[in-house]
Amino acid sequence: MSIIRTENLSKIYNPETVPVHALRDVSITIDEGEFTSIVGPSGSGKTTLLNMLGGLDKPTSGNVFINGTNITEMSDSTLIDFRLHNIGFVFQHYNLVPVFTARENVSFIMLLQKKSRKVMAERADKLLDEVGLGDRKDARPKEMSGGQQQRVAVARALASEPRFILADEPTANLDSASAMNLLDIMEQMNRNNGVTFIFSTHDQRVIDRARRVITMMDGAVDSDEYHNREKAATGGGGQ
Amino acid sequence: MSILFQISWRNIWRHPARSGILMGAIIVGTWGGILVAGWGNGLIEQRVDYLISTELSHGQVHHPEYRAEREPWMTIPDAESILAYLEGDERVQSVSPRTLSEGMARSPVTTSGVRIHGVHPEKERATTALYDRLEKGDWLGDEFRNPVLIGGQLADKLRLEIGNRLVLQFQDIDNEITAGAFHISGIFRSASSDYDERNVFVKSDDLSALIAGETFYHEIAMSLTSSDQADGVIADVNERFPDVHAQTWHELSPEIRYIAAYSGTLTYFLMAIIMMALAFGILNTMLMAIFERMRELGMLLSIGMNRIRVFAMIMLESLMLTFSGALAGILLSVLTLWYLGDRGIDMGMFADGLAEFGFDTITYPFVTAGEFFGIVIIVIFAALIAAVYPAIKAFRLNPVEASKE
Repeated sequence: MSIIRTENLSKIYNPETVPVHALRDVSITIDEGEFTSIVGPSGSGKTTLLNMLGGLDKPTSGNVFINGTNITEMSDSTLIDFRLHNIGFVFQHYNLVPVFTARENVSFIMLLQKKSRKVMAERADKLLDEVGLGDRKDARPKEMSGGQQQRVAVARALASEPRFILADEPTANLDSASAMNLLDIMEQMNRNNGVTFIFSTHDQRVIDRARRVITMMDGAVDSDEYHNREKAATGGGGQ
Repeated sequence: MSILFQISWRNIWRHPARSGILMGAIIVGTWGGILVAGWGNGLIEQRVDYLISTELSHGQVHHPEYRAEREPWMTIPDAESILAYLEGDERVQSVSPRTLSEGMARSPVTTSGVRIHGVHPEKERATTALYDRLEKGDWLGDEFRNPVLIGGQLADKLRLEIGNRLVLQFQDIDNEITAGAFHISGIFRSASSDYDERNVFVKSDDLSALIAGETFYHEIAMSLTSSDQADGVIADVNERFPDVHAQTWHELSPEIRYIAAYSGTLTYFLMAIIMMALAFGILNTMLMAIFERMRELGMLLSIGMNRIRVFAMIMLESLMLTFSGALAGILLSVLTLWYLGDRGIDMGMFADGLAEFGFDTITYPFVTAGEFFGIVIIVIFAALIAAVYPAIKAFRLNPVEASKE
């Protein structure tokens, strides 16, 4: 079942001065449970596409449907609320709140969703256990390594029980061991819980793990290939 | 909402040194501003109190034209009835009838223009604080014939001491020049060196005898149980005795009334200047904080924190920073005013300069509850001014652009 569908998505920056075609008629469909990488050289439009899928940016033309709802027609405030309940984000620079502990960083999004304290505490603890940070719940970001911070960011993204997670270069700032560890966790979440992950990445380690790789070139989809079918067959994905 | 308070408070302390310095500036600014305003209030009140207790009293009664013309014959008609009426009024603490004359004081060394106050010694002592300001000698008693009290400044100018003879020259009731020899029984020193040089006090009977050969009065000064009663008492006297003109202290010296009325304005003006200056510091700090946290704010908007909450968070940070500092500054100033209001600020080292302007050397600073309320309003206003722009800046952030920073 598809959770994301784009329809002739185009984005032109500076349309009246020096037009830059960041996206050209991109039409893709992403199913529930996918573990997909969007790849391509710098300037190919992969981050722009990810921003469109996350409702962070508006297309010049075309539509983005999430579970059948056209998010391009939503107002800014409706979109913010939609993101809160439907989309998880993992950023390249982790972007944790430095004054919060790991538990508070994970709980915060549930607080915005107005969940009860009990639910927040239980879910935050469970997620931190799942990403292997059960013993670092009260640590603040500056007391954690980059890999640990990014695992907190993954737990935070999962905390809101989103329909899918968008991860922009999640391993770009991590060493090999941390990157592999993070990928293991995300792959495990995908397999065991059916969480849909969509990455924008240059990282070959991520590309190697992805079961679907969408390659962007000059703002258009250059190729769309399914890999690792044997993994998909055993996982919770939709392949 | 409580979580926003928590986040905002923690955000303030991300840079303890920076926030601490700013908070320190707010504390010192608020404390200093209130203290200076309190000192100003104290000076003004001291000046008003001095004028009431030593020079003007709460009210005075004169012949209707006396204050404009100051002719010796412009005496108070039926003064005894007025004195009897005032002494029977519960609102009146004491009254002092006076015979007045403009004249010259002569010593073997030099002469000086003076106003001669002929007073009833006991009644004057009960009505004004002149007795408390005697520096040397005694009150107008029987030790000397024709005793006179002179100010320290005049004594220095005429080079006279206790017991020396002073000749006072003035007009009699027929506008003829007359003179009398008086003996210095006491030397007073008031808050004003000018007053000390230009005023002498003799017995009313002595002065009246020289002016007209009988006792009469040009002025009746009254001390009331409360200065708030002045308007009522004066109005009653004017209604009951239409041949005289009674005036309150603020009618006699309107400039002092204006100064007293504007003392609160001085407080607000001073605090407004200080808080506006601090507001720029707060604004600068908050803008720096926003630019530093651009990526984080972009993340918060991305994950679903709505713009109103982001706006509120930044507003709260500015407001909490300002209010914490201002509250500490206000508490510190309350303690300081409590301490100094009891003990006073001694500026004895500037005594000569202060005396020229008519101020005592010890000032008791105070700030009224109303002024504190006004200060709190100014602080809130300044905090809002400092908070709104950074909060709007955060409110308008584009999450994609902000996340790239």
